Amino acid sequence: MIDRKERFVTLLQGAMLILNVLCVALICVLIYVTTERILANYDAREFLNSISAFPENPRANLIVCMGFMGIFIATFLMRHFWKEIPSKWNAATLILDLIACSVVIYRLNFNYKGLLLLVFASVIAYVKDGKMKLVFVAVAIAGYLVADYELLSIYMRLYNISDYIRYYSYNTQQYLFSIYNILLSLNIILFIAYCVYVINVQRGTIEEVNRLYHELQTANEQLQEYAEVTEHMAQTKERNRLAREIHDTLGHTLTGIVTGLDACLALVDVSPEQTRKQLALLSKAGREGIQDIRRSVNELRPDSLERLSLEVAIRKMVTDMSKVSDVRIHFKTEEKHLKFDEDEENAIYRVVQESITNAVRHGHAKEIWITLERIEGEMLLKIHDNGIGCKEMKSGFGTKHIKERIEMLRGTVTFDGQHQGFTVTAHIPIRWGETYD
Amino acid sequence: MRKIKASGKVWAVLAAFLCIILLLLAHRGKKKEIILEFGMFTGSNWDVATANSFVIIDKAIARFEEEHPGVHIHYYSGVLKEDYSEWFSRKLLVDREPDVFMVLGTDFNQFSSLGVMKNLNELMERDASFDPEKYFSSAFCTGQYGGIQYALPYETVPTLMFVNKTLLTKEGISMPDQDWTWEDLIEICERVTKDTDGDGVPDQFGIFNYDWMDAVCSNGGEIFDSDGTQGYFTDERLVESVKYIRQLNELNQGQKVVQEDFNNGNVAFMPLTFAEYRTYKTYPYKIKRYANFQWDCITMPAGTQGDNLSQVETLLMGISANTKEEMLAWEFLKLLTYDEELQTEIFRYSQGASVLKAVTQSSEMESIVQEDMEEGDTVISGKLLGRVIEEGHIEPQFKRYEQALALADSEISNILENDKTVDSSLKILQRTINNYLRQ
Repeated sequence: MIDRKERFVTLLQGAMLILNVLCVALICVLIYVTTERILANYDAREFLNSISAFPENPRANLIVCMGFMGIFIATFLMRHFWKEIPSKWNAATLILDLIACSVVIYRLNFNYKGLLLLVFASVIAYVKDGKMKLVFVAVAIAGYLVADYELLSIYMRLYNISDYIRYYSYNTQQYLFSIYNILLSLNIILFIAYCVYVINVQRGTIEEVNRLYHELQTANEQLQEYAEVTEHMAQTKERNRLAREIHDTLGHTLTGIVTGLDACLALVDVSPEQTRKQLALLSKAGREGIQDIRRSVNELRPDSLERLSLEVAIRKMVTDMSKVSDVRIHFKTEEKHLKFDEDEENAIYRVVQESITNAVRHGHAKEIWITLERIEGEMLLKIHDNGIGCKEMKSGFGTKHIKERIEMLRGTVTFDGQHQGFTVTAHIPIRWGETYD
Repeated sequence: MRKIKASGKVWAVLAAFLCIILLLLAHRGKKKEIILEFGMFTGSNWDVATANSFVIIDKAIARFEEEHPGVHIHYYSGVLKEDYSEWFSRKLLVDREPDVFMVLGTDFNQFSSLGVMKNLNELMERDASFDPEKYFSSAFCTGQYGGIQYALPYETVPTLMFVNKTLLTKEGISMPDQDWTWEDLIEICERVTKDTDGDGVPDQFGIFNYDWMDAVCSNGGEIFDSDGTQGYFTDERLVESVKYIRQLNELNQGQKVVQEDFNNGNVAFMPLTFAEYRTYKTYPYKIKRYANFQWDCITMPAGTQGDNLSQVETLLMGISANTKEEMLAWEFLKLLTYDEELQTEIFRYSQGASVLKAVTQSSEMESIVQEDMEEGDTVISGKLLGRVIEEGHIEPQFKRYEQALALADSEISNILENDKTVDSSLKILQRTINNYLRQ
């Protein structure tokens, strides 16, 4: 399909080229032959009376003009047979065309400017760069306007092809004028046909691109949906695991302890000694249960927190995040020795992580400020960004999780998206020193 | 592909080298001898017989080639004046025109407007040794077209008044002064016009060939403005001139004066050029014409509002706009037109006058002219000749001058022959000519 179109464009260009070579040849040969005729008839002085200028040397003019038309043919062939022509060479051939065109038009004393249409046609087809195309087209249009015989003959001494045609008898004049005018018109008609065709082809291409773009966008949206579903599935999976874990460990241990305690109740009157032993066992089982829970929770802990302190872990997260996105994150804390329980650390870490994710994903923030400070027995965690904020709070933007996590620590959290950017402020009561054991 | 391209590059470079070497060789070959083409016609520009048309040019060439070794000047001999225009036009059409050439007065406007002639303004300004003041200003201005100097004068010829001394003596009339007037002329004409053989029609006349243009020149008038946009046919001086010609014609009582009458010694006055004067005053041509009476030349009679002035014709020389040897061409043109020694030769070998004031007004010129004449003949003084040339009337230079003048001349002849009212007819002519010029 595209091949066929290209071939048709080439065909039109070739036709224009041949027509232009014909026109230029006609003018040059006419002048040359007429001059010879004038010389043969000894009409030179009489002829000079009837004209306002004449070409310096008709023979040289013929040779030079046909030579430069040869350049047109060469560049045309080069563009069509050198398939993967580099754009630099392409531009070079067009500039060469433009130069050849100027020389020929000048040598023909602006009697024929159809050549500019030929250059136009090539520019429309081969210059892909919009700016370059504009420059070329501007040069060509300016040339077409300025290179007008009637206009320039006011300022310059220019010969007129009509003067040469008028040398012949009236009948011959009519023939010559008609042939000349037909060739001129044909060139313009070919050019218009060419333009219409090329514009049509290009419009087809634009529509094709639009369709493909639309498809791509649909696919992108689907992909996003899949990603959300996947995330949701991962959450469900994790919850199931947690449930199983709790059921397996805590349920098992508690069942064991409850059963053991029942036994103790029955045994306490019969054999206090036995009961004590039993209680010791239960205590051991309870401890083991705690160990188990701790282990399970540990498995859910972020990798960084496993190995590093909270502060270092947050800094690492901040650095990592900055590395993978173009967001600048500032983390500031006064508390040098942050000492929290694991669940607190987890919660704070997750809240920070979630907030950064929200700021980047929904807020399109470029900068994020995180502060963690101690104010009168409370920890104040503040995450502020310079993103677009959020006029209306919608659940599912990760805020629900944050709220849950903070409430688990008996803290409070507020969100503010009305003012500049988005701010998460969390107050967490300090319970330093408390332990499970 | 790459291989082909690489070897292509090598070939291209080799070809370019070859071209440069060839060009250099050609250039060096050319350097050895520069040939400057000179275009001239055989014979006199003033339509008088001459045998020496090449002598001055040959002398100039010999001097120039001596001063500029390696330069050779070539000219085509044998082109007649009547063929010169066509010959030159043919050369022009095929880009073979000579570097320096003579221009006929009838060609100068056309060639200048076609851009054939080199603009000499810059060359003149650059040349410190060149002073246009040395030329007669009338002759110098003839080479201007549209305010630009395209040619320099080579030889000039004013029109003088031929006087049949024998006839005047017979009628008891003394030679008119150098500052005589129209009134003097008409008075003498009236006295000499008579029937001598008693057949009832006059056969002795006052003046022949004196036309309205001669009258306009001596009446201080102009026919066209200098850039050819309008005629001056309703101008008082021109109207007066035409009326004066009618008065002169009326004296002939309807008889038409012909050259034959003049040659037979039956006419007292006739305008003739300085070139004709010199040709027919000297041997061998003096025995061919006007041999049976004594004659001399004086200035033209002054009109009521003018002076004793006449038309001055000038032979011009120019440089081709396409010459490759601009400076040499200029040097040669300067030698021909500006060198006093060479210009003096014009009095020896040609029939015109030099275009340089110093030469024409010199006593040397008077003695050269005297050499050719009989002892009794008075020689026109250099001072007078200089004045006639310097203040002479030159034709305006515009493209359609020749055609416009031909149109006006035929119309005025028509007015005079058919006894039309001068004033109203000239008003009509003024409109016709202006329409023609504005076309």
